[in-house]
Amino acid sequence: MTGASLKRFIHKINIFIFVLLLNGNVSAAKPGDSLTIGITQYPSTFNPVIDAMMAKTYILAMTRRPLTAYDQDWKLVCMLCVTLPTIENGLAKPERTKNGKRGIAVTFQIKPEARWGDGVPVTSKDVVFSWKVGRNKKSGVGNAEFYRSLYKINVIDDKTFTLHFDKLTFTYNSLGGFELLPEHIEAVNFSDPLKYRYKTAYDTDTFNEGLYNGPYVIANRQTGSTVVLEKNPNWWGRKPYFKTITVRVIGNTSAMEANLLSGGIDMIAGELGLPLDQALSFEKRHGRKFNVIFKPGLIYEHIDLNLDNPFLKDIRVRRALIYAMNRDAINSQLFDGRQPKANSSVNPLDRVYADDVPVYDYNPAKAIKLLKQAGWKKTRKGIRYNDKGEKLSFTIMTTSGNRSRELIEQVLQSQWRAVGIDIRIKNEPARVFFGQTVTKRLFTGMAMYAWISSPESVPRTTLHSAHIPDKFNNYSGQNYTGYKNPEMNRVLEKIEVELDFRKRKNLWRKLQFMYARDLPVIPLYFRANAYILPGWLKNVKPTGQQDPTTLWVEDWKR
Amino acid sequence: MTAPLSVHGNLKSRFFRHSLASISLFILAVLIVLSLSAPLFEWILSVDMQSTNLFQRFQPPSFAHPLGTDELGRDTFVRLLLGGRVSLIVGLSAAITAAVIGTFVGLIAGYFGGWVDDLLMRLTDSVIALPFLPLLIVLAAMDLTKLGLPQALVENDNISLLRIVVIISLVGWTTAARLVRGRTLALRSELFVKAAVALGASPVTIIGRHILPNLSSTIIVATTLSTGNIILLESVLSFLGLGIQPPWPSWGNLLTNAQETIWQSPELAFYPGILIFVTVIAFNFLGDGLQDALDVKSVR
Amino acid sequence: MIKFLFSRSIQGMVLLLIMSFVIYALIGLMPGDPIDLMISANPRISSEDAARLRALQGLDQPLMTRYLNWLTNAFSGDFGYSRLMAKPVFEALQPALMRTFQLMGVVFVLSLVIALPLGVLASRRPGSKTDYTINLLAFAGISIPPFWLAILLIILFSVTLGWLPAGGVPIGDGQGFLKTAQYFIMPVMALTLANIGGHTRYMRASMIETLKNDYIRTAKAKGVPEKKILLHHALRNALIPVVTIIALDFGNIFSGALITETVFSIPGMGKLIYDAIIGNDFNLALVALLFATVLTIAANFIADICYVALDSRISYGGQKQ
Repeated sequence: MTGASLKRFIHKINIFIFVLLLNGNVSAAKPGDSLTIGITQYPSTFNPVIDAMMAKTYILAMTRRPLTAYDQDWKLVCMLCVTLPTIENGLAKPERTKNGKRGIAVTFQIKPEARWGDGVPVTSKDVVFSWKVGRNKKSGVGNAEFYRSLYKINVIDDKTFTLHFDKLTFTYNSLGGFELLPEHIEAVNFSDPLKYRYKTAYDTDTFNEGLYNGPYVIANRQTGSTVVLEKNPNWWGRKPYFKTITVRVIGNTSAMEANLLSGGIDMIAGELGLPLDQALSFEKRHGRKFNVIFKPGLIYEHIDLNLDNPFLKDIRVRRALIYAMNRDAINSQLFDGRQPKANSSVNPLDRVYADDVPVYDYNPAKAIKLLKQAGWKKTRKGIRYNDKGEKLSFTIMTTSGNRSRELIEQVLQSQWRAVGIDIRIKNEPARVFFGQTVTKRLFTGMAMYAWISSPESVPRTTLHSAHIPDKFNNYSGQNYTGYKNPEMNRVLEKIEVELDFRKRKNLWRKLQFMYARDLPVIPLYFRANAYILPGWLKNVKPTGQQDPTTLWVEDWKR
Repeated sequence: MTAPLSVHGNLKSRFFRHSLASISLFILAVLIVLSLSAPLFEWILSVDMQSTNLFQRFQPPSFAHPLGTDELGRDTFVRLLLGGRVSLIVGLSAAITAAVIGTFVGLIAGYFGGWVDDLLMRLTDSVIALPFLPLLIVLAAMDLTKLGLPQALVENDNISLLRIVVIISLVGWTTAARLVRGRTLALRSELFVKAAVALGASPVTIIGRHILPNLSSTIIVATTLSTGNIILLESVLSFLGLGIQPPWPSWGNLLTNAQETIWQSPELAFYPGILIFVTVIAFNFLGDGLQDALDVKSVR
Repeated sequence: MIKFLFSRSIQGMVLLLIMSFVIYALIGLMPGDPIDLMISANPRISSEDAARLRALQGLDQPLMTRYLNWLTNAFSGDFGYSRLMAKPVFEALQPALMRTFQLMGVVFVLSLVIALPLGVLASRRPGSKTDYTINLLAFAGISIPPFWLAILLIILFSVTLGWLPAGGVPIGDGQGFLKTAQYFIMPVMALTLANIGGHTRYMRASMIETLKNDYIRTAKAKGVPEKKILLHHALRNALIPVVTIIALDFGNIFSGALITETVFSIPGMGKLIYDAIIGNDFNLALVALLFATVLTIAANFIADICYVALDSRISYGGQKQ
């Protein structure tokens, strides 16, 4: 290239870059009436009843209102209904079913102003239709237990209906799982239930406002990356502040942070955002510019102990394990105190939490004493052996690639080694871990993972002896520890049907005492969600449980 | 007519004339020795690679910890050395194994041609197109004891190193195969090979004396280039639970783990990164030196 | 030549068939399925529910039966619905395919355009300063993990300088070329830098070796200018291994790059294939992976043709003994 032509070439490049920068107004946060939220996953479908996914629930919560929901204080509130039916106010009446079972009839009234985005009112027709969809074995709806238990619906008028359940449980008025589908749009797509998954308007006609009854409707989307929401012209509640809400999916959390710092997104959702330690680090560096809210949640990180393991059968060994763990240090050093140790599967914020249950503090001397009592007296190279010459060794397993869990495993390995327990770490991809290892009880010692639950959720399938998975019952049930305690069974059965709150709370207390005494599971902590918000965003009230924060999106504002 | 020169006598002197290669050999040797002597350093510093100390996280360098501590309070220096053990062993041996398999396949395919070539190359195509994710997950799920291996052997940490080398080699031989085959096809039609065939030399002789030496350049480049990839590939395997298990470090997984501490402790990423970089450079310059030394055409 | 084309086409189709079964079997052999993952998060799903859901998705039938069903349908052109995206497979693939093709296509061309000249340049005087510099650049490219390169670029250009968007793709059609280009600059940079390393080294090594040949010495002795020697005499022969590498690279154009796509939030084939496999979406995963298979077969086929074009002595017949 000659000198002159080189000069011209460089000149052209400069102009190119200049024009690029001119057109590049992406770095500035959009002014005034729009909000961009970052989440880590894209929903597989927009249909509310097929495939449970947090990403879908989060986005749809801005566009639809359920009949009831748990709010930020974990209290049940009415969203689409007028009054919460209770036995006290007479809207719920216990009754006997035809087979003589104890059931209950619950009457709801839909808010008169509630309507779908195309103006059609939300009516009992929608309720009945949604029930039919959920009940139909071919529709692909996951949580069928609810729809089976709801065996009849009496339509009283357009807005009022009575639900008849064949089981009397204390959660009779919580209808968070009962998603309403617009009958006037979806009925035709449901004509062949087998094909419903592929015909549902939520995926074939996503921008149809009639599908939504919330403050926003889905106006645009880019599969795998973006969803754009705009104000619902027919919204019947409090007027939302933001005209447009864009949800951007960023699969990598470091990139998510970079997007926040560069203005590509305004906030990071707590339910689907940064892991805690990353959020803590972020807060230290940018806590002034951003508002970081940590809300403890209902995700229970724990270690299942296989009670068939000959060494773990001994309660002294289990207690020794927990005494040797310095969970407070883990919390204070790794989590900045945001994820205090759990004492059972019941969250301290839950109404039924018993605060007088015995707590295991860090006490390695006691752990050693217990191990010696259990026959683990001899030590060789720091590890304990019993009289038969067997080594006190366990394998701990969890999902590979999960940073927090791997870090905790290594800390625990080190802490347990200090009292003479040898730990091997063997992690597997989630597919294998949940696909066979945990569900078929193939782990020999310990399995670390988390349960997601809702307030006051009864741990029947994880603690009741009838739910131990084995090859005879086709591996159904989630009692992976193999815990068999007839007293616990009785308490679990009683709790579900006890309607009196005080009596129920007492039963819960018994449950927590037994849990702490028997230690089928080593409780770790409840995961806290980190909500990262810009300083100018107000009124965001994190819920910390399965009903997402976005159910109150109309309150958010500058 | 270029017959292969006597390579042995000249080899050493030609190699060491290539000063960069000599330095690289020295550096690699130092790295290997350091990695293997990690237990010595553990003893000197009285630390060990798995004892965590939650109250000593992210400490800056000091006498007790020459490079400071990591996210769980463990000594960074010792973990780097131990990481080298895994990465160097896996990197070098997997690279060489893959090259050996690939050369073998490529040679046979290129020399014999015809249906042998078609079969072997279509096999190569299928391995290239094979989706590794499901394969790896299936491997992760396999219970090796069902294959008849004793439990103690399966749980041995060294066995997992072997498993990693095997997995990577099974997957990595295709490039070398394609390259060697291409070159063999070209060599096959060279005059001196045709002459040897006409003289009635056996395929083994021809391959061994005429073709293989002329492939050295190709093979060396392919092998040395793959080291970096292989060291990093091990950390991807860790993500799927197929790499070495925690708490064992490798440069690859140290690098991956440093992702989340990139803001507060970037040096935790820098150290393994620079070590990988140096290893790649050293191994590649070493390869350059070997190419020169083994070269049959040079007139120097 | 016709015979060659014909036999290779047959081989290709047989290979496709075999691969379709292998891929189907591999996905089917993975333990657990999405239903297990659903259950692990939500204890409320009973085993009857799980069985029912599996039956709905046809997951309760033996693998062979399912595969043969798929095959029969495929022969009549019906590749089925993607379970994950609830669309016919090709419709579900199309946006990701286009996006990946654009991204990887640019990377492919750019890598060649930059790496080949650099490799030739480095080979002119091995051991010179130019050679060292180019080598170091190449080594940097092959030893930085793709994740790190991507994040560093984002930190530099988006967070610190604010010049480029940190990721994503522009929404809606009809966006100006310049607006769309911004989103692709960093991913292209990250992927190209990684590729350049290998291509440069191969080109350099191959050139150095070719330049040692007798006929090159002859040409030098005859006074042929260096440029002509490099580009005219040496390059043709030196290109053979490079063509091999390029062909292997080309085979990846439709497979995308999972890590880069995730970090830059670009919904491309890499992420799609990953999601399809993890989600046991057999139809989607099969078609997506078979695309990649077709491309690999085609690329190596073209490479084989190129060998003959570059070195007319090469033939594919069996070795005469």
